[in-house]
Amino acid sequence: MRASIASVRGVLNKRCAAVVSSVGFTALFTGCASNAPQDTWQPKGPNAELIDDLQQPVFAVAGVIGLIVASAVIYTMIKYRDRGQPIPEQIHGKPALEVTLTIIPALILAVVAVFTFGAIFKLAKTDDTEMIINVTGQQWWWEYDYPVQNEFGINQPIITSGQLVMPIGTKVLLRETSRDVIHSYWIPALNGKRDAVPGRVHTLRLEADEPGIYAGQCTEFCGLSHANMRMEAVALSKEDFAKWVANQQAPYVAPAVGTLAKQGEEVFLNQCVRCHQVNGLTRADGTPAIAAPDENVWSGAAPNLSHLMTRNTFAGAMFDLLSKRCRDEVWNAPSDMVGARYLEGVTEECLNQKDLRAWLRNAPEVKPMYANPANLLVSNGKYRGMPYLALSEDDIGKLVAYLITLK
Amino acid sequence: MAIIERPTPAAPVVVTPTETYGLLKRPVSSTGWRSWVFTIDHKKLGIMYAVTAMFFFIVGGIEALLIRLQLAAPNGKVLNADLYNQMFTMHATTMVFLFIMPMAAGFANYFLPLQIGARDVAFPRLNAFGFWSLLFGGIFLNLAWFLGGAADGGWFMYAPNSGPVFSPSNGVNFWALGLQIAGIASLTSAINLIITVLNMRAPGMSLMKMPIFTWMITVVQFLLLFAVPVITVALFLLMFQRNFGARFFDVAAGADPLLWQHLFWIFGHPEVYILILPSFGIISEVLPVFSRKPLFGYPFVVFSGAAIGFVGWGVWAHHMFASGLGPVSVAVFSVATMAIAVPTGVKIINWTLTMWGGKLWFTTAMKFAIGLIVLFTVGGLSGVTHSIAPSDTQQTDTYYIVAHFHYVLFGGSVLGIFAGFYYWWPKVFGKMLSEKLGSWNFWLMIIGLNLTFGPMHILGLQGQPRRMYQWTEARAGEGFFNLAFWNSVASIGSFILAIGILIFLINVWVTSRNPQRAPLDPWDARSLEWMTSNPPKEHNFDVIPTVHHLDEFFHRKYEEDEATHTMKQITTAEDLIAEQERNADRHIHMPSPSYWPIVLAFGLPVIAFGLIYSYLIAVVGGVIVLFAAFGWALESSTAPESDFENPNSSAELVKHD
Repeated sequence: MRASIASVRGVLNKRCAAVVSSVGFTALFTGCASNAPQDTWQPKGPNAELIDDLQQPVFAVAGVIGLIVASAVIYTMIKYRDRGQPIPEQIHGKPALEVTLTIIPALILAVVAVFTFGAIFKLAKTDDTEMIINVTGQQWWWEYDYPVQNEFGINQPIITSGQLVMPIGTKVLLRETSRDVIHSYWIPALNGKRDAVPGRVHTLRLEADEPGIYAGQCTEFCGLSHANMRMEAVALSKEDFAKWVANQQAPYVAPAVGTLAKQGEEVFLNQCVRCHQVNGLTRADGTPAIAAPDENVWSGAAPNLSHLMTRNTFAGAMFDLLSKRCRDEVWNAPSDMVGARYLEGVTEECLNQKDLRAWLRNAPEVKPMYANPANLLVSNGKYRGMPYLALSEDDIGKLVAYLITLK
Repeated sequence: MAIIERPTPAAPVVVTPTETYGLLKRPVSSTGWRSWVFTIDHKKLGIMYAVTAMFFFIVGGIEALLIRLQLAAPNGKVLNADLYNQMFTMHATTMVFLFIMPMAAGFANYFLPLQIGARDVAFPRLNAFGFWSLLFGGIFLNLAWFLGGAADGGWFMYAPNSGPVFSPSNGVNFWALGLQIAGIASLTSAINLIITVLNMRAPGMSLMKMPIFTWMITVVQFLLLFAVPVITVALFLLMFQRNFGARFFDVAAGADPLLWQHLFWIFGHPEVYILILPSFGIISEVLPVFSRKPLFGYPFVVFSGAAIGFVGWGVWAHHMFASGLGPVSVAVFSVATMAIAVPTGVKIINWTLTMWGGKLWFTTAMKFAIGLIVLFTVGGLSGVTHSIAPSDTQQTDTYYIVAHFHYVLFGGSVLGIFAGFYYWWPKVFGKMLSEKLGSWNFWLMIIGLNLTFGPMHILGLQGQPRRMYQWTEARAGEGFFNLAFWNSVASIGSFILAIGILIFLINVWVTSRNPQRAPLDPWDARSLEWMTSNPPKEHNFDVIPTVHHLDEFFHRKYEEDEATHTMKQITTAEDLIAEQERNADRHIHMPSPSYWPIVLAFGLPVIAFGLIYSYLIAVVGGVIVLFAAFGWALESSTAPESDFENPNSSAELVKHD
C-alpha cells in the first residue's frame, strides 16, 4: 500500500513541484519588462549602476543555486522513491563530504563579500561632492532646500517641494533629516534608499546620467498617508538647471489689480499664509506676509508655494498639477526635450483643475491626514497635514486663479 | 520528574501533607472542562497552545485576506488608511507572536518531554501559567479592535511614530502591554524547557543522542531566554513613553529614535530563528522517518542549529541598512549576514542527503517537509541577495522583502508546522488524518503560497513599497505584466492558500468523526515519543526507557543484517509497548492540577487595563496577582487521596500489577 501511494502519485507530484517551486524565479526574470517607473533594475545614474552591477551576478548565482537544490531534491525523490527496496543501511553521515559542502558556499560568499565591501565604501563617499541639497521629510511631503552655492547661480536659498530638481552629471549630496517621524528617501533609478531620521542628518548621493523625471516613494512607514508620500527627481541639463535656478530666484509678481487672481491673493492672505509662504508676498499695508506653520502644524512646516507652477505636483507629489495629457508630454519626452518641456511649467490649459479644486475644497478627504480639530488634543491643537478650510466655491475659484500666476 | 506528587492506591503515599495552608484544595478532575482549565499536564497544555495558535492563525489569516482584497486593484476601497495600517500591524503581530511562537510552544510542550523520556516538564504549574499568560495577552492585544482601534505603527513599531501624538488611539498601549503579558509565556517556558532538557532526560540519553527536534527547541529556548528580555525592556520604555510621559525616544529631549530600532532588532533578528528553528526540528524528524534512514550528519545539523543561534545575535542591523548607520557598521553586518547563510545551507544539504539513498514514502507529512526544503531555499537565497547591503538599500521596505520573509515563514515555518500536524496527529489524538484530503491541503497551499508570494518578488523589484494602503496605476508600469497584474495574481493566490488551510480544518473535522483508531506506530517511527500509547497516558511512559542509540525506538525494532547492511525487523511497536505495560513502574507520582496558574495569569491583563484606563483597576489586578501568588506558594503539594473521585490512571496501574 505504501509503495503504491508513493510510486503512482509520486512521479506526477514531482513534476508539478518542479514547476511550482520555480515560479518565483522564472516569473522574476520574465516579469521585468513592464517599464515600471520605480523599477530597481533600470539604473539611470552611476550610484544605482554600481548597485546593479553588484546585485545582478548575485541574483544569477542565487538563481542557479536555487535550481541546483530544486533539481537535486526532485532527482532524489524520483530515484529513491519506495520501489520495494529493503530498508537501507543506517548511514549517519560523511564528514568529509559535509565539510566540503560547507566550505563551497562559504567561499562563494567570501567572494561576494569582497565586492560588497568595495561597493559600500564607494557609495558612502562624500568628499568629491559637487552640489548639496537639504532634504527634510515630514508627514507627508518632502521639502528641498538649496543652500547658497554661487557656482550654480544659487545666490539665495531656494526652498521648494514636490519635485527635487538637479543638474545631470553632477554629484549631488542630499543631507536628509525629518521634522517628525522617520521617513525614507528613495529614487530607485538613481540610488538605494536612506532614512530621514529626526535629530540626525544622513547623506545620500544622487547623480543622473540623462535628463529625465525619476519616480520615487517614501519607504519608511510614516503613518496615515505613507502611501501618498511620493517623490520625483527631475534631472535637467546644466543649462536648463541654471534657467530653473534663475526662475526660482525671480522676484514675486503680484497679480494685476482688479483681476480674479488679485482677489485670490486676498483669500490666500486670509487663509493660506498662516502656513504657506510665498516669497515676496506682501499684505495690503505693504508688510511682508510671513507664514507661521510652526503655530499650526505639528511638524512646524508647510510647503513653500513660491513659483508653485514651476512644479508638476502638489500635496506631497500625491497629485499632478499637470493634466494627464500634459504630464505625459513631459514624462515621455525624449531626453533632450525633457528640460524645455519641464521649464514651460504649468500653463492655464495644462492645469489639473479637478484635483487642485478637490484639494482646496477638502484636503483631508482626498489625502488621509490627522486634521480633524476635534481630535487634536494630543498634539496641542496642531494639525498633521492640511485641514478642512470650509472655503466657498467662489473662494476656491479665486485661489486657483491666483495660484496659476505663481510661475 | 515533577516535584509534586500524587499518591496512587498501589503505592504507599510518599508525601502526605497533613495540613493545607492554601485557601483552596487542589482540583482533581480528570474529565470535563475543569480537567483542561486547571490542568498542568504538558500534553494538555501543548494541545491548548496549539488550539490557541490555530485560532489566531485564522484571525491573522482573515487580516491577510482583507489586506490582499484591498491591494487587488489600484486605489483599493475595502479598508481606509487608518484601518489598513491597523490591519498590517496586527496581521504581523498575530502571526509572529500569537500563531507561530505559540504553535512551536505547543509542539515543544507536547513532544519535548516525550522525546526525552520524561513524564512532564520540570515546573508544571509554571507551564500552565505560561499558557494562560499567552492566551490572556493575545486576547488583550486584540481587544483594542473593539476599544478605539488596534495598534497602527507596524509590528516593528518604530519610534517616534509609535508616540502618543502620532498614534493617538489606545492601540499601541494595548499592543505594548499585551506583548509583555504574552512574553511571560515565552520566558517561563524557555526556563522550564531548558531545565527539563538538562535534567530530565531518560537514562543513557546523552545530549548527542537527543532527538533533533528537541535539540532545535532547546536552541530556541536559549534564544528566547536572551531575546525576550530585550523586547521587554523596549516595550517598557514604550509603555513609559506613552503612559507616564517618559521621553526615551523624544528627539526634542535629546533622544535618538534609532535606539528603538536597535532594541527591537536585537530581539527581532533572533526572533526570526525562534520562528524557523522549531520547523527545522520538525522536518528533521519527518524526513528520516519517511526516508527510512537516520538524519544525515546529525552533529552538523545540531551544531549548525547552535551556530545559527549564536551568529543570529550578530546580524540585527541588517534590518537597518537604510537607517544611516555608516559604512563600517553596514559592512560588518553585511558580512555577518552572509556568514549565517552557511549553517542554514548546511541544513538544506543535510536534509537532501538524508533522502539520498533512502526508501522514500511520500505521505502528506513528507510532502510538506520536502516543500519546506525547496521553498525555504527560495526564501534563503533571496535573503542572501539582501545581505549585500547596497542591493538591500534598493530592496528593503519593498514587496521583495515581503516575498522573502513569507517564503521563509510560510514556505519554512508554516510548512514545517503542517508537516508536524500530519506526522504527529495520530500520536496526539489517536486518529489518522486523511491522506487524500491531506494531498489537497498540501497542493492548494503550495500553489496558493507561490501565487501569493512569488509575484511579490516582482512587485518589490519593480519598486512597490510595503505598508501602502493603496497603490497607484501611475507607478504600475505598462504592458500586460505590469504591477496591477501581479497584484491581482497575489490576491487570487491568497484565497487559494486560504482554501488549502480550510481543507486542513475540514480534514480535522471529518477524521475526528471516524471511529477507527490509529495504529500504534503508523509511520514506523524512530524516536521515543512513539514508544507509548496513542494518545500517551497521563504519565507518558509505563517504564522510563534506557537509551542506547539516537533513534532508540527504531533500533529496538530493527537489527542490521551483517552481510548486506540493510535493516531487518526484529519486533513490532505493539510488542514493545505491550512489554512496557507488563513491566510498568509501580510508583508513578504525577502532579495534581492547580487553580492558581490561571488566576495569577488573569490578574495580568487586569493590571494592564488599569494602566490604560484607571489605576484603580490596576490595583484590583495587583491584588489578584498577589492573592494568586500566595495561593500558589501555600497550596498543598498534592491533593489528599480522598479528593479523587475517579482515579482513572491509578486504576490502570492497579491493573498492571
